[in-house]
Amino acid sequence: MGSITKGQAHFLLLKIHSLTGLVPIGLFLTFHLLVNSLRTVGVLPYQWSIDVINNLPFLIWIEIFFIYIPLLFHSFMGFYITQVAKMNAIRYRYPRNWMYVMQRLTGAVVFVFLIYHMGTTVVPKIWNGHHLFEAAPFLIEVMNQEFATWTGRIIYLVGILSATFHFANGLWAFCISWGIIIGPRAQRNASIVFMLFGGVLTVLGFATVLEFSLHPVDVEPTLKGAF
Amino acid sequence: MPKRKPQFIVIGGGLAGLAATMKLCEDKARVTLVSYQPVKRSHSVCAQGGINAAIDTKGEGDSPETHFYDTVKGGDFLAHQPLVRDMCHQAPAIVHLMDRLGVAFNRTPEGHLEFRRFGGTLFSRTAFAGATTGQQLLYALDEQVRRYEHDGQVQKLEWHEYLSAILDSQGVCRGAVLHDLHTGEIFSAKGDAVILATGGPAQVYGKTTGSTVCNGVATTAAYLQGAKYANGEFIQVHPTAIPGQDKLRLMSESARGEGGRIWVPRKKNDDRDPLTIPESERYYFLEENHPRFGNLVPRDVASREIHDVVYNKELGVEGQPMVYLDLTHQSEEFLEHRLGGILDIYAKFTGDNPKKVPMKIFPAVHYSMGGIWTDYESNGSGLIDHQSPRNQMTSIQGLYAAGECDYQFHGANRLGANSLLSCIYTGLMMGPGLIQYSRNLNSHFEDVPSSVFDQARDQWQGRMQSFKQMKGPENPYVLHQELGDILLANVLIVRENSKLEKALTQISDLEIRFKNVQCLDTTHWSNPAPSMIQQLFCQIQLAKIITQGALVRNEFRGAHYKPEYDLNQPKDFDPHEYVEYIEKKQYGEVLESEFPSGHTAYMKRYEECNEQWLKTTIAKHNNNQPEISFEEVNTSLVQPRPRKYD
Amino acid sequence: MPEDKTIRLKIKRQDQPDSKAYWEEFDLPHKPRANVISCLMDIQMNPVTRQEKTVTPVVWESNCLEEVCGSCTMIINGKVRQACTALIDALPQPIVLEPLTKFPIVRDLQVDRTRMFENLKKVKAWIHIDGTYNIGEGPVIPEKQRAKAYLLSECMTCGCCLEACPQFTKNNNFVGASTISQVRLFNMHPTGAMESEERLETIMGDGGIADCGNAQVCVEVCPKKIPLTESIAEIGRETTLQLLKNLFLK
Repeated sequence: MGSITKGQAHFLLLKIHSLTGLVPIGLFLTFHLLVNSLRTVGVLPYQWSIDVINNLPFLIWIEIFFIYIPLLFHSFMGFYITQVAKMNAIRYRYPRNWMYVMQRLTGAVVFVFLIYHMGTTVVPKIWNGHHLFEAAPFLIEVMNQEFATWTGRIIYLVGILSATFHFANGLWAFCISWGIIIGPRAQRNASIVFMLFGGVLTVLGFATVLEFSLHPVDVEPTLKGAF
Repeated sequence: MPKRKPQFIVIGGGLAGLAATMKLCEDKARVTLVSYQPVKRSHSVCAQGGINAAIDTKGEGDSPETHFYDTVKGGDFLAHQPLVRDMCHQAPAIVHLMDRLGVAFNRTPEGHLEFRRFGGTLFSRTAFAGATTGQQLLYALDEQVRRYEHDGQVQKLEWHEYLSAILDSQGVCRGAVLHDLHTGEIFSAKGDAVILATGGPAQVYGKTTGSTVCNGVATTAAYLQGAKYANGEFIQVHPTAIPGQDKLRLMSESARGEGGRIWVPRKKNDDRDPLTIPESERYYFLEENHPRFGNLVPRDVASREIHDVVYNKELGVEGQPMVYLDLTHQSEEFLEHRLGGILDIYAKFTGDNPKKVPMKIFPAVHYSMGGIWTDYESNGSGLIDHQSPRNQMTSIQGLYAAGECDYQFHGANRLGANSLLSCIYTGLMMGPGLIQYSRNLNSHFEDVPSSVFDQARDQWQGRMQSFKQMKGPENPYVLHQELGDILLANVLIVRENSKLEKALTQISDLEIRFKNVQCLDTTHWSNPAPSMIQQLFCQIQLAKIITQGALVRNEFRGAHYKPEYDLNQPKDFDPHEYVEYIEKKQYGEVLESEFPSGHTAYMKRYEECNEQWLKTTIAKHNNNQPEISFEEVNTSLVQPRPRKYD
Repeated sequence: MPEDKTIRLKIKRQDQPDSKAYWEEFDLPHKPRANVISCLMDIQMNPVTRQEKTVTPVVWESNCLEEVCGSCTMIINGKVRQACTALIDALPQPIVLEPLTKFPIVRDLQVDRTRMFENLKKVKAWIHIDGTYNIGEGPVIPEKQRAKAYLLSECMTCGCCLEACPQFTKNNNFVGASTISQVRLFNMHPTGAMESEERLETIMGDGGIADCGNAQVCVEVCPKKIPLTESIAEIGRETTLQLLKNLFLK
């Protein structure tokens, strides 16, 4: 490939924005909600899952390259896209136009939520050196505290709902902009399927919140002093 | 020295103007394309039904010669025959060309062009693209011209108005005075020739099927500069239009082509729901009076029949001058597929669904067969010499015309789906001749002293300025409406000399009131008011041409119907008798007894009538009045004979 | 005169492209089958506002009055549409008329939509033929494909889809649904397809298809019911394939 013009760069950036929403961010969201929902089965499987993740080699690099950079890129491109547009759903009240507005709104909500979420979990975990088997007790304690109050619960419910909607609706938009679904009927059907999928993710997330709220259990590290 | 490139100014971006531009660009010319608005919005988009070409895909035995005969017969033999013949012979190539340009013509199951039937013929000869053939054809040409614009060969001057041609000291056209409708600037543009492709004059009649830009002003301006105007009185009234406050929207002839039936209740003022009226109480007057052509008689015939049923028999629907156009017997799928867009228009503007209830329609002014006079050169074998610079040239050297604004192809009445053909045909056909004209010029516009151009510009600047200063009590829009009302009341389907004389008086009254018009807007940016006054001035002149022509022509021919001069064709008359009669005449006097009773007398009347009136009406501007004279029509190929659509 | 026999029009006017906009109100007698255009014509014949002030007639753009030329697009009671099909009896009063907001204003209700025509140039929205000479029939095209193309080629460049598109603004250079749909139209024609790659490369550039935000208002407001969102998805597919081709096959 020769040199890239400004126009082509613009196109590629937007395409990458669309792609990162699915891979890796959407994939990560699905995985995250799925794994966390282990908490509804019992605290032990949940703790093990955290243990596995926190014992992965090169964890920090995996996080940086597969989560943080794509997430930041996706967020900033999202803000750029929103900023150059001119929403008009008040004037043109069509369902799809509302979804368009909601997509941008939920994106912003998720962004703020993630700052909070990471600021209360990952950041203190690293800052205070809760690595490997030490991570799970710390994180579970944080969560128990979050879900002890309605403020915390509502923050998480809104954050989860925004994320699942943004992902489900974004999946639909991804399929159109990459030309995977074409016809109006296909678009409608796909939208239903993706919304159902989003619903399942939401249920997973909400169930986890519920379990934390109803049965807060503190745990000890699975292997004490294993490092 | 690099070869000089021909340069032309095309006024109007409808089918004819775009076809001419495309053709000229193909021959490496440079074109300045002038239009009131973006050319993609030109009036050609309104044409719905289709474009004729005798390709005979259905084994009906159609041929360009039959198409030619149908066209001259439809036009009551008033058209110059070599031109019409050439057009009909070019028609298949034109339709194939448009197809290659991407026009979405309807297809047969095998993927070839589909053809449908239209008025005035017994053959399936009309290619069509859904319900918007004119729009589709225009877009295809617009795209080609956009390509040349992209390549720098075409300069578009949209939002510009043509004011007049610029004539040098020899009276040769060297350019045009143009008016920028946004800035108000008036300037002169130079070219080897100026081509008027400015469409019809429908706006003279006020509410018609025409678009707002179909004002006939450019051709009238040429007339005022000394060009001949021809056959002005031949105005086609389309039998089927939808009533409206701002315009009368066309209900395409294709509605009848696809089986639409015209009827009225047999009982006067029958106020029953039309669907509950039994067959026996419906008067299908076209089918009864014309069993062979039925609902597909030519437009002039249909309009007169409707006029007769509504005004003489007083059988109009709801007591109004309206009749039913009924498609409800066809399946909804069929209608959607074949006429979808057309029927949508009706639904949109009336709120009724024509698939479920019969449409209410009435006749409306639709097309001008007449227009600015143009020349042609026959090649000696009954076709046109395409290289001749005379083709489509007006009586002003260097000023050309094409499309509806010329007069040559439709005689006294146009057949449906021939207008799109004649527009594209003239635009394309004139191309080579124009190039020749440019090459043959001894001196070009570059050699003309700049004072010629400056003077023309200054004169128009002064004129438009004087319009701007008009402060009388008359509103020009009201005057325009009144002008239209005069013509609608007196110069329409049925013409009587007393009414025509009255109309002339009323028009001259209006002309006096015109002097007291007020310029409603005196600002300097995008101000349509001075143009409106200039247009009104021209339209008054044009109204005089139309009315005067109608008054002078004492006969019944095509769209020009004067009951007192009806030759009263015997009911059992066969037009071929006349051909026989003419042959027999060569061997001496024809006896009364050789034809059925009354026929010989009728044929004698017909022959005398043709002797006197089978001529082109020419209007020349003289002392503020149209001076009418007559010119021979070229009928060298087909013997004119009485029309009959049984 | 009874209240229901009068029509009230509230019109946003602007004398020049850079001058300040203002509102004027007109009361007109009701007429059967009237539409917004016929009301504007009535104003021309009597340009007097509700406050009895004589003003200049309102300037607007119109031509065919049959909704096939695209001229008279404006914002009527808050929504973009053609004025000729806006029947008075179907509109709540007062009827509010505004010019399009996404295009530069010329005067009153008249705007400059040159950008749309320039975009058609940009994507080479035409079929490049060898010449106009008689070289026989055009390509054989299945009726189904023709019918699809016809839907797309009814686009009259009216600007409704762009006016209603949240992604299309005065400050960006997004080409919008109408242009993307034209790319699809010409790419699906057997002859037009010969230049499809060039069109795709253009539409994969600045202001191209990637700027679509899938709000899908375009398809809702299109007066010709053109399947614009389908066109966008189809061109989405074509550009994706072109991208892959560019990355892995060239």
